[in-house]
Amino acid sequence: MRILLVEDDDLIGSGVEAGLHHAGFAVDWTQDGRTAQLALETTDYALVVLDLGLPRMSGTELLKWLRGCGKDVPVLILTAKGTVADRVGGLEAGADDYLGKPFDLTELIARCRALLRRSQGRSVEILRYRALAVDPASQTVLRDDVRVPLTAREWAVLLQLLTHQGIPQSRSRLEESLYGWHEEVESNAIEVHISNLRKKLGADLIKTVRGIGYVVERT
Amino acid sequence: MPKSIRGRLALLVLASITLVWTIALGWSYLQATREVADWDDARLVQLAQFIVLLDQNDLSVLSRTRIDGRTEYAHRPGHANDSDGDKLPREALFQIRDANGRVLASSVQLVSLGAFEAPAEAITGARLITLGGRPWHSYVLHDSASGRTVRVLESTNIRSDLATGVARRIAKPIALALPLLALLVWISIGHSLAPLQALSKAIRTRDASKLDPIEIGPTPIEVSPLVDAINQLLSRLRLSINHERAFTADAAHELKTPLAAIKVQAQVALVAQDVAQQQLAMQRVVQGVDRSAHLAEQLLLLARLDEHHTIPVQPVALGALAQDAIAAIEPDAQRKGMSITLVGDASSEVIAEPVLMDILLDNLIDNAIKYGDAGGRVEVSIRRDAHAVMLTLADDGPGVAAQDIARLTDRFFRVRGNGASGSGLGLSIVARIAECFGARLDFGTGIRGRGLAVHVSFPAAAVAAVQIASSTAI
Repeated sequence: MRILLVEDDDLIGSGVEAGLHHAGFAVDWTQDGRTAQLALETTDYALVVLDLGLPRMSGTELLKWLRGCGKDVPVLILTAKGTVADRVGGLEAGADDYLGKPFDLTELIARCRALLRRSQGRSVEILRYRALAVDPASQTVLRDDVRVPLTAREWAVLLQLLTHQGIPQSRSRLEESLYGWHEEVESNAIEVHISNLRKKLGADLIKTVRGIGYVVERT
Repeated sequence: MPKSIRGRLALLVLASITLVWTIALGWSYLQATREVADWDDARLVQLAQFIVLLDQNDLSVLSRTRIDGRTEYAHRPGHANDSDGDKLPREALFQIRDANGRVLASSVQLVSLGAFEAPAEAITGARLITLGGRPWHSYVLHDSASGRTVRVLESTNIRSDLATGVARRIAKPIALALPLLALLVWISIGHSLAPLQALSKAIRTRDASKLDPIEIGPTPIEVSPLVDAINQLLSRLRLSINHERAFTADAAHELKTPLAAIKVQAQVALVAQDVAQQQLAMQRVVQGVDRSAHLAEQLLLLARLDEHHTIPVQPVALGALAQDAIAAIEPDAQRKGMSITLVGDASSEVIAEPVLMDILLDNLIDNAIKYGDAGGRVEVSIRRDAHAVMLTLADDGPGVAAQDIARLTDRFFRVRGNGASGSGLGLSIVARIAECFGARLDFGTGIRGRGLAVHVSFPAAAVAAVQIASSTAI
């Protein structure tokens, strides 16, 4: 799950980045509206966490532009302006949720998960697939009610495939969901993660689509 | 004088009326007295004309009887009910002489008054004489046909009852009317002052937070300036309170950002698994606390500057202060590879307060370092001419866009995208301090056409003393 964080404040930005990363998300952090616009044009994000008071292009402008070009990526607004008018303005400009500063990091992460879940058309947090029960909040996977330990990377690959059932995910798409901008992408990493997942969760879970990538069939 | 307008007005109105009435009364009394005297004279003339025609027998009868002016005239037809006539007897005496001056008849009382032998006046006419210590009206009539001369005397009634009666008749309704008039005056003044009472009630019953204009309906022209003045005061108060509220809201909003940062970093530290990450997060928590503390300090300083206390001033050596400020920030400058130089007339003095001047210099130099380019230059210069001492802070950094220059001293205004985290209050504080000492703040282009220059021109010491004295006197 790759998240775009747009926040101009150094301390808040670095904190949120660390928090989201810790929660298992790949995070791209930009500090101004224009860079965020560029990032959104080139990368497919699962979620945008957006501060409203930004240099070069305000959060509201960015939001209007985003909705104007038909992108329906979920957007969560962060702002210090706590009035009802501000909240309404943000939501009407196309935001999906709102969090006032100072906010709780765990609440921010929970809200991000809820937004992601909703955008994937689920209303319950636990993802069930055949014998698997996957809980993104606690990052746990149960196979026939037995907990299967996964690394953070394996977990991210599994989640990406499970939330896009029936849609083959290319290697680069999977890499994107694994690594933020500042992280080194290891070669062969995806193949290693896929093979580990097959060992841990069953060989028939993930299918290889020749020349394209990998897929988890729709149940 | 009573303190209430109503009492004062009532007293003045009634006093004026009483004064006018008293004058009118006195004048009427004088007029009445004069008329009565004229009437008395006319009566005497009639009596003389009557006596001069009498024969010897009638004269001898008349000389033995008393003639009372009252009986004669009080019972004249048409005057029968004239109750205002004299109450005292009005004795009339006479003496008649023939052409040779021989006395034909005379009232006997004339003898006792010692006026029997009084020489007959040569001319006809009325006059006032004194006989036996009493004043008498005397009238002499010379009848040329018979050659007789008649002298008639009538005692003057000193207390002219007739005149007093007239005076009383005028005075009585006035005396009765005065209390009624006082009541009417009191009520009508009270009624006229109703708008004032309505105004004071409107102010008294007003909620302290309600600052919209007072509306008490149509007001007379004397009261409307007062209502207008109060409404103007209210609108000024409203503006200043709105300004304060906006400032408080802005301040709260500004404080939320460092608080959010502290909270996020603290939570990151809580969940961090490796020590390095935890330490980094904790360092950032400390940074966030420093930032909030700095903001709170700046806010307090602004609030104190806004209290408008008279600030005690003294000559301050600008150069020495600037040197201290530069020395204090040197480590920060070195970290960014920046150089700071002090040029110009370092001995210049300005009339100011040293602690506030320190804050002004710190803010300006700190800004120049914070927003200047790494490896850049900052120049502090002090110049002096006859009228002013000018302090200039110039850098060769990115400068400020023209449209942002005017907003630089606005509270919480920050030039976006410069990467540095300021409170947005530094230049507001500089502007406020400059204002305290009558200095002017201008912005220009920095070193060699690049960056920003901040000029603070203080009035020269001699000029400053006068200016500050006059500004604190307001």
